[in-house]
Amino acid sequence: MNVLFGSPALHALVLGVGIVSALLGVTSYFIWFERKFAGRMQSRIGPKHVGPYGLLQPIADAFKLLIKADITPDTADRALFNLAPLLAVCVALLSLAVLPLASGLVIADLDVGVLFFLAAGALTVVPTWMAGWGSNNKYALLGGMRAIAQSVAYGVPLVLAALVPVILSGSMKLSDIVAAQAGGHWFALWPPGPGLGAGVLFVLASLAEGNRIPFDIPEAESELVSGISTEYTGMKFGMFYLGEYVHSLVVAALFVTLFLGGYDGPGPDVLALQLLWFVLKVSLVSVLLLWVRWSYVRLRSDQLMTLCWKYLLPSGLLLVAASAVWVWWTEQGGSR
Amino acid sequence: MAMSAHATAHTSQAKAAELPRVPTPAIGPRANPYLDADSFEGEGDLMVLNMGPQHPSTHGVLRLKLWLDGEVVIKAVPYLGYLHRGVEKLLEKLSYVQSTPIVDKNDYVASMTNELALVMAFEKLEGCEVPRRARYLRTICAEMQRVASHLLWLGTFALDMGGALGGGTTAFMYCLRERERILDLFEELTGARFHYHMMQIGGVRHDLPVGWDVHMKQVAADIRARIPEYESMLSANPIFRSRTKGIGRIDARLAMELGLSGPNLRACGVDFDLRRSQPYAAYDEIEVHSALAYEGDVYARYQVRVAEMYESLRIATALVDGVPAGPIMGRKPIETVNAVKPPAGEAYVAIDSPRGELGCWVVSDGSPRPYRCKLRPPSYHALAALPYLLPGTTIPDVVVILGSLDPIMGEADR
Amino acid sequence: MIGQDVAQIAHERFGLESGELGPSVPRERLLEFASALCEAGYLYLVYISAMHHPATKNGEAEVPARYTVVYRVRDLARGLEFPFRCEVPLGTGVPSVASVWAGADWQEREAYDLVGPVFEGHPDLRRIMLPEDWEGHPLHRDYAINTPHHPWR
Repeated sequence: MNVLFGSPALHALVLGVGIVSALLGVTSYFIWFERKFAGRMQSRIGPKHVGPYGLLQPIADAFKLLIKADITPDTADRALFNLAPLLAVCVALLSLAVLPLASGLVIADLDVGVLFFLAAGALTVVPTWMAGWGSNNKYALLGGMRAIAQSVAYGVPLVLAALVPVILSGSMKLSDIVAAQAGGHWFALWPPGPGLGAGVLFVLASLAEGNRIPFDIPEAESELVSGISTEYTGMKFGMFYLGEYVHSLVVAALFVTLFLGGYDGPGPDVLALQLLWFVLKVSLVSVLLLWVRWSYVRLRSDQLMTLCWKYLLPSGLLLVAASAVWVWWTEQGGSR
Repeated sequence: MAMSAHATAHTSQAKAAELPRVPTPAIGPRANPYLDADSFEGEGDLMVLNMGPQHPSTHGVLRLKLWLDGEVVIKAVPYLGYLHRGVEKLLEKLSYVQSTPIVDKNDYVASMTNELALVMAFEKLEGCEVPRRARYLRTICAEMQRVASHLLWLGTFALDMGGALGGGTTAFMYCLRERERILDLFEELTGARFHYHMMQIGGVRHDLPVGWDVHMKQVAADIRARIPEYESMLSANPIFRSRTKGIGRIDARLAMELGLSGPNLRACGVDFDLRRSQPYAAYDEIEVHSALAYEGDVYARYQVRVAEMYESLRIATALVDGVPAGPIMGRKPIETVNAVKPPAGEAYVAIDSPRGELGCWVVSDGSPRPYRCKLRPPSYHALAALPYLLPGTTIPDVVVILGSLDPIMGEADR
Repeated sequence: MIGQDVAQIAHERFGLESGELGPSVPRERLLEFASALCEAGYLYLVYISAMHHPATKNGEAEVPARYTVVYRVRDLARGLEFPFRCEVPLGTGVPSVASVWAGADWQEREAYDLVGPVFEGHPDLRRIMLPEDWEGHPLHRDYAINTPHHPWR
C-alpha cells in the first residue's frame, strides 16, 4: 500500500479530511443537480433564482436550515434525538474510508475493505432507529420499525451481491478488486451473467438500504408524514438529508468500484485521468439512480419484504454459486 | 351499453327500461365499522394513530382515527367537520341569486358542476326554461371540468403512492400542466380560474369568446394525446399495479347502500350514470358511453377515471362544434338580489359531477330565500365507505384507498 | 322518475298516498316501509335529510313544531326513484334505517347534527360536522346565524 507523507496516520488524516470535505461539497451540488434534473423531467426549470442557474441554491438552503428554529419535543429522548442526525452523517461517511478513488488514492486500503463497507452500511440503521424511537412520535416509530425490517432484510442480498466480485477477484481488498478488472475486464460485463446480475442486485439492495424510492418506505411522506424525521427541524433535519445523499453517492461509488472497474479506463495510468474516469462513472450511475427515483412509485412494506426474501435472496445465492463455478472452470483451464 | 338518448325519451318510462340491468348483488362479507376496539384480542396492545387533520395525504382536513395492530388497521373511524362552513345554513340566509358563488367553494376543484346542480334545482323549482345554447355551454363546461378534476385526482393519487420526492411528483407535475390549460380555457371564458360563477338561474353568464372553440379543441387534442403517457407511467408500471389491484375492494351491494356514485360506483360494475338515466343540460343530444369496471378495487377506480377523461374530451369536442345560435339566458335579466321567487314547493336535482352524484334538494316557501337547501355531496358518501374498506389493510393502503375515492373535504364537510 | 310499483305497495300495504313528494310514513311503520322498499329493489340510498318547522298558528289551531325527515332511494337497474318522508313532533325519535341501508349511518348522523331529530336504534349516533360539545342544532329555523359559541379548540 502506498502511504503518502511517510506515516499511515498522517496519510489517513490528510486524505480523510480532504476527501470528506470534497464529498460534502460534491453532495450539496449533487442535490442541486438532482433538483435541476428532476425539474427538467417534470417539465419545469428547477432552482434558478439564487445565483446563475441557481448555483448558489445549496448555500442558501444550508443557511436557511441553520437559521431555522431547532426544536426538541418535550417528550423526546433528548440524547438519542440529538445524537441521531450526527450519527447518520458520520455512518454514511464511514464507508468512504476504504474507497479507492484512484490508484493509491485511498484513505485506508483495508484487506477486508468489502466487509468494512458492508458493516458500515448496515450501521445506517442505528441512527435511523435512534431517531425513530427517540422522537417519541408514532409516525417516527413506525418509520423506525420499517427501517429496521428493511435494513435487516436487504443486508442479505447486498452481501451476496458484493460476494460475487470478491469470488471473481479472489480478494476482499477493494484495490485488488479494481486491479482484477483492469483493462476493461469489468465484472458487470465479464463473466456474462453473474457479474451483471450481481450488479443489478447490488443496486436494488443498496437503494433499499439507503431508503431511496421505490424503497423509501421508512420515510414515506405520503403515509408516515416524514417517517423518522417527522419531529426534526432545521439543521438536524438537514443532517438526515445530507446523510441520505452521501450514502447514495457512496453506494454509487462502490458499485462503480465493484462492478464497473473503479478508476480503470482507457488512457495512461495517471492520477488525474483515473480520478476523471472514476468521477465520470459515479456520475453516470448516480444519474441512472435519479432517473429511477423520479419515475417510480413506492412499494408497500410487505411487498418490499416479499421482493427481498422471495426473489432477491434466491437469485443472490444463485449468482454466488454461478460465479464460484465460473472461477472453478477458469482455473480448470477455461479461458479468462 | 352505449345508447343514444333523445330529448323526447328522458321523461318516459320506456327509456329507463332500456338501461342495462344492474346486477342485484347479494350481501357480501363486510367489515364491522362498529367494532369494539377494546375487545380486540391479540399480541400486545393496539396503537391508536390519528391520521390527520394535518397529514400530507388526507386530501384536505380529514381525520382518521386508526386502531393499529402493528401496521394492520383493525378499526378506522373518520372524523369530519374540520372544513365545515355551515354552507346549508348560509344558503337559507342568502337569496337564490346570491347562492351560486357560495357553492363554488364547496368542491373547489370542480366549481362548474357545483353551480350547475344548485342552479338546476332552482330552475326546476321556478319552472324556468333554459335555452339550448346555454345548455350546450353548460355541458361543455361540465365535461371540461370533469377532465380538469380527474387530472388533479390522477396527480394527487400518484403523489399519495409515489411520495413527494419521487415518481409521484413527476406524474403530478404532468397532470397539473394539462389541468393548467383547462383553467386557462375557463379563464378565457369566465375571467376566473377557480370559482367561475358561470351558471346562473335561467342560463349562463358568459357567452363563448371568439376563437374559444378552436382553443378548446386544441387543448382537448393535446390532452388526449398525453393521457397515454400517464398511463404508461402509472398503470404500465408493475409497482403501481401491485399497489392498486385487489386493494380497497368494495362490492356493488355495499356501494349502493352507501350511496357511492360516479366513478366509484361504476368501478363496482354498476352501470349507472345520471347523464344517461336522467339526461340534463345537453346530454339528451349526445351519446354518453360511461366507463365501467367490475373489480371494485382501487385499480378499477383508476381505470374508470382515466377512461372518463377520454370520454369527456370526446363529448366536449363534439358539442363545441354544434353549439346552436341563440340567447344564453332563458328569463329576464336578474337585476336585484330578490329577483328570483319560486313558488312554494320542493325539488331535487342530481347531476353527475366528476366525483359522482351531486344533488341539491331545495324547499321553497315562496320567499326569495330557500326554506331549506340540502346539498348531496358525493365525497361525503364516498368517505362513509372508509370504515368498511380500511380494516385489514396496512397504512400504505389506507392512503391509497382514501386517494382512490377522490374525496374533496370542502364538499364533504360543507 | 317516481317508482309506481312502490307507490302501489305504499297504498295497498300501508294505506299511504304518494304525491309528488312521496308518502308521509308514520314513524311506527317507517322501518317496515324501508324494508319493503329494499326488498322491492330500491337498494341505492340517495340521501336522508331533515328540516325543522317551527310552531305556527293556522287560524285557531296551533300547529306544534315538528321535524320532517326526508328520504330518497333509487332502483338503479330501472332508474326509478322514490322519495318518502316521516314527520315527528320535536322530542320524538325517528326509527333509524341504518339496518336497512348501511349508508344511512352517516346520513342520519348529519341530519341529527345539523337539524336535530334523534334517530332511535342508530348504531353510533354522534355529531359528525360540529364538535361533540356543540350546543343546539344550527339548521333549526330559530337558530340565529350569529349564535355565540365557544372557540374551536
